[in-house]
Amino acid sequence: MNVFDSLVTSNIRQRPLRSAISVVGVALGVALIMIFTGLARGMSNDLQRRSSNVRGEIIFTRKGSMSLVGSATNLSTKYVERLQQIEGVEAATPVIRHIYPSGGIGVDQIEGVEWNDFSRMNGIRIIDGRSPVANDEVVIDQTKAARKHPVGGTIKIFGDKLYKVVGIYAPESGARAKLTLASLQETLEAPGKCTYILIKTRPSADPVAVAKLIDQELPGNNVQFTRDVFASVESSIPSLGVFLRVLVALSAVVSALVVMLAMHTTITERTREIGILKAMGASRVYIVGEIEREAILISAMGLVVGFALALGAGFFIHKSTGLIFEYGWMWALTAGIIGLVGGAIGAFYPAMRAANLDPVNALAYE
Amino acid sequence: MAAAATTGKKVAILKAEKLEKTYRVGKVDVPALRGVSLAVEAGEFVAVMGPSGCGKSTMLHLLGGLLTPTKGRIVIDGEDLTAATDAKRTDIRRRKIGFVFQRFNLFPTLTADGNLRLAERIHGGNGSGDPERRREVLRLLRLEDKMHHKPLELSGGEQQRVALARAVITQPALVLADEPTGNLDSESSAIVLNMFQELNRRFNQTIIMITHNPEAAAACGRIIQMRDGHIVAG
Repeated sequence: MNVFDSLVTSNIRQRPLRSAISVVGVALGVALIMIFTGLARGMSNDLQRRSSNVRGEIIFTRKGSMSLVGSATNLSTKYVERLQQIEGVEAATPVIRHIYPSGGIGVDQIEGVEWNDFSRMNGIRIIDGRSPVANDEVVIDQTKAARKHPVGGTIKIFGDKLYKVVGIYAPESGARAKLTLASLQETLEAPGKCTYILIKTRPSADPVAVAKLIDQELPGNNVQFTRDVFASVESSIPSLGVFLRVLVALSAVVSALVVMLAMHTTITERTREIGILKAMGASRVYIVGEIEREAILISAMGLVVGFALALGAGFFIHKSTGLIFEYGWMWALTAGIIGLVGGAIGAFYPAMRAANLDPVNALAYE
Repeated sequence: MAAAATTGKKVAILKAEKLEKTYRVGKVDVPALRGVSLAVEAGEFVAVMGPSGCGKSTMLHLLGGLLTPTKGRIVIDGEDLTAATDAKRTDIRRRKIGFVFQRFNLFPTLTADGNLRLAERIHGGNGSGDPERRREVLRLLRLEDKMHHKPLELSGGEQQRVALARAVITQPALVLADEPTGNLDSESSAIVLNMFQELNRRFNQTIIMITHNPEAAAACGRIIQMRDGHIVAG
């Protein structure tokens, strides 16, 4: 049978607006799943990638001064000297981690470091330009540089304050932009203070034992391992997993409702045609099958549009805000199943209603 | 083709015994059929006439298994329609009955060919049908060059011929036609009636046709007159 001369495809083509609305409904559900999970995954992986390049194993800070979306600059840099005297510590360097509204969506972060100590400890090198010296100088990583911030140019930090880009560093590590410690201390009006002190242990020392020793020597502070502080976004926000699952469920409901409403409308429009099918001897299974096939075809079209929408949205959001999207096959598969199953379930009630229509009344329907 | 017709014997392909149908309208029972008995032999072309509200359409719907009688029995080609479940009645309709309606009732989104193939799919599952039968029906109804047109691109007479082709393409034992010329001008009516006769002669097709038109009834081999839910003649 010519595929374009079947009831399913001809009905879809005959009612383009209704079909388009249904396709968009399913597409929105799929796109929502893809965009949110892609964003969560992208940001989580990005954070993990950057934190994996921090080679200092221990972070020494004040209790409660660091969280995912905020930090305080309340730790005296005098602790650096005392930490360096503790057995097993190879190096210690102060860092200010400052989080501020990015001006777009969400927040951005910047670090103030003593460049030579920090770069030596973490194996970071300047690949273009030089390290920051003056208070209005900044170095950035390659990702930030790719967003039209070449060496010699300027960049706005804290909203509208201009900084000169004097160098590009690699590999990416922590915040994408780094000032001198003194510069950030001055800006934050926190002389002699930092957010945390990054500690590298000697190769022969056990970091756990060193951390224990630091805690004994300098009680009342917070001694954490870097790998725990820069954990994934998903584990940093305990309810993120729940949020994503709720989002998936909502998308499924949206897809199912849109298809159900569309199919309900089309069944009403086609009551007479269903009466004809029944007069021709079409069984309930056949009628349900025809309606389900139409719903699944619409859902499949919705999937294609939804994936395209998610890719397009991810690209443009990344271009305009720098947010990183990483789409996973498992989530794509989930979104696909949700779209198709949601559509099939949504069409089931209208299909059953159609299959149970009284043929004589259906044939008399105007 | 129906078993009785292929043997060429004059056996009843349809038997209806003491059919009664009462509709419940609100709290009132409205009798539509009051004990109709009828036998139609294979290859007969029967007209059913009578004033509006006499029960013609109700009888046709009962014979086609679209309605169930309040009382009585219907046997089509050896199968008891009244004893069957709803699913079984649908199956009997699929295998043994073809409908032709006054308003043609073609699927507007499908071409004439699509409408025929849909009937074949419902009847046989794969939509391929019997190519020889298809060719003969299309030739007889002069539809060969109309198959790629959609219903709205066809005249009323052509649409009814497509509907007729759809009804007979699956070789039903019985064709039930509900005022098939009621929406046609006299010229198209004559053509369609002529084609009913051709199908009856060529394929020994059993046809029961409701009509208000005496000329249409005259084209049939037998005329049944109905009044007030009874058969009064024929």
